[in-house]
Amino acid sequence: MRILAIDTALGQCAAAILDVASETTIAAEAIAMERGHAEALLPLLDRVMARVDGGFHSLDRVAVTIGPGSFTGLRIGISAARAVALAIGIPAVGVTTLSALMAPLMEDGPKRLTVAAIDARGGRVFVQAIGPSGRLIIQPCVMTIRDVVRNLGSGSVALVGPGATMIAAEARAVGIDAVLHDDLVLPDLAWVARIGAAAEPDEALAKPYYLAAPDARPQDGARLARL
Amino acid sequence: MRVLGIETTCDETAAAVVASGDDGRGVILSNEVFSQIAEHAGYGGVVPEIAARAHVEAIDRLIARALRAADVTLDQVDGIAAAAGPGLIGGLLVGLTTAKTLALVARKPLIAVNHLEAHALTPRLTDEVAFPYLLLLASGGHTQLVAVRGVGDHIRLGTTIDDALGEAFDKVAKLLGLAYPGGPEVEREARRGDPERFALPRPMMGRPKPDFSLSGLKTALRIEAEKVAPLTGTDIADLCAGFQAAVVDVIEDRTRVALRDFRERVGRPTALVAAGGVAANGAIRDALARLAGEAGLRLVAPPLPLCGDNGAIIAWAGLERLRLGLTDDMTAAARPRWPLAELEAAPPAS
Ligand SMILES: Nc1ncnc2c1ncn2[C@@H]1O[C@H](COP(=O)(O)OP(=O)(O)OP(=O)(O)O)[C@@H](O)[C@H]1O
Repeated sequence: MRILAIDTALGQCAAAILDVASETTIAAEAIAMERGHAEALLPLLDRVMARVDGGFHSLDRVAVTIGPGSFTGLRIGISAARAVALAIGIPAVGVTTLSALMAPLMEDGPKRLTVAAIDARGGRVFVQAIGPSGRLIIQPCVMTIRDVVRNLGSGSVALVGPGATMIAAEARAVGIDAVLHDDLVLPDLAWVARIGAAAEPDEALAKPYYLAAPDARPQDGARLARL
Repeated sequence: MRVLGIETTCDETAAAVVASGDDGRGVILSNEVFSQIAEHAGYGGVVPEIAARAHVEAIDRLIARALRAADVTLDQVDGIAAAAGPGLIGGLLVGLTTAKTLALVARKPLIAVNHLEAHALTPRLTDEVAFPYLLLLASGGHTQLVAVRGVGDHIRLGTTIDDALGEAFDKVAKLLGLAYPGGPEVEREARRGDPERFALPRPMMGRPKPDFSLSGLKTALRIEAEKVAPLTGTDIADLCAGFQAAVVDVIEDRTRVALRDFRERVGRPTALVAAGGVAANGAIRDALARLAGEAGLRLVAPPLPLCGDNGAIIAWAGLERLRLGLTDDMTAAARPRWPLAELEAAPPAS
């Protein structure tokens, strides 16, 4: 299966084309950025696809990170993924950022409690934790850092994701052995592709996974000024 | 020539396919609109984040539906247009990213359309109006008098310095406990009311520049309403009639001044065009027809479904730009603020 993976949910604008069976990356590019994904993504996609024999029409599937992450960022990636799917008639599947971040440590079964964390601002993180047995210890949610640490128990913990350092500091302060994985701060596109390839398109929908309610303030004066 | 148009600037998710024949005439092949009104109903206005969330869930489905209804495939369109502004950034990014991606995959030109220009060019789709013409654009979001000289070539003669006309109707309706959107409700009440009972001001009337101001009128109406409260059915009808009469007078005066301005700066217009939801108002339409007659012009008012937000007007504006070679590349940015005056103009007509 040839799959296009896209991630614009967090601090990178990235796309990769992989052949899942042979585990080879055909082409890939990632640019670190906190904002500007919208302007960067399409030129990047154009460059990456230019290195792929058969171009877009050789794809079998698109996988995209659906969050949690930047609301705007994830909508950009999802819009692009769904448009590719629409244009060539293939499925688009969604992969959560939390599961993509954890995946490299799950490969041979987790050795210790593994926590993926993404900054959700205001002392809170989007978080998910999986125990050494593979059991879900914290299901995906938004939590204060303090509450996360309270749920960790006393054993050794592996931390991934852009919010990992925040958890590490707090965990170490209460004597938990926290192992920071500096190389797993952003989703690895190869893993997004692998998870996406294994997913059931009817279940793993390419729709935003916000994990947070919208800020429900109407536009100023109830209408938009458009002058 | 066929163009797919995508609209996500505010609270409507829409897609359409418009074609033009050898004679240049436009034909709407499909026009699919999904209104989010229900999703914002509880908030008394459009919530940007809710709008953006709804757009990303719906836009691909609407595009598929528009293509199917037009009986064309993506490969059979000649360009892909999206409204790139002005509007709410979250929705703009969804629509524009979708359009860019379709353009990249299907190898079609991308056209980043200005939503206001799309409204301004609509009478050319519906009534084949020739340049130049005077446009009164009056909706819930904008109130402008524009000299439309060509594609990408517009002079804004006047605008509102506070509320938009439709917004004023909506606020008055809200104040009087009428349903949303308020325009049609106010018009209905006005029909059985006495426009003379309450003396309301005509803000900006007589000013040399054709600008509008509506907040003073709204405040005056509130003061009158508070004086007679609690309101009876007759009070409400009279207040609506008084308000509408004032608005009609203001629109007639401001448009007359704009016509004078137009003649001085541009020359003779081919038509007076009234677009936007407010142009649906019968009393306003009558006043504009009178004014057009006085000036020896025809009054053109595009049909209502094309006055609100929809994909067909975006597709048509895209088509007009595409046939002049005005296309955009993959770095085109969404522009929440994008005045008509900042549009890229077409090369001078040959
Ligand atoms: N009969 C009427 N009389 C006066 N105002 C009306 C009438 N019918 C509709 N309106 C007003 O028109 C506005 C709706 O206009 P429209 O549908 O063009 O778009 P909109 O969503 O406000 O658009 P935009 O976002 O482009 O400004 C509302 O404010 C409504 O109250």
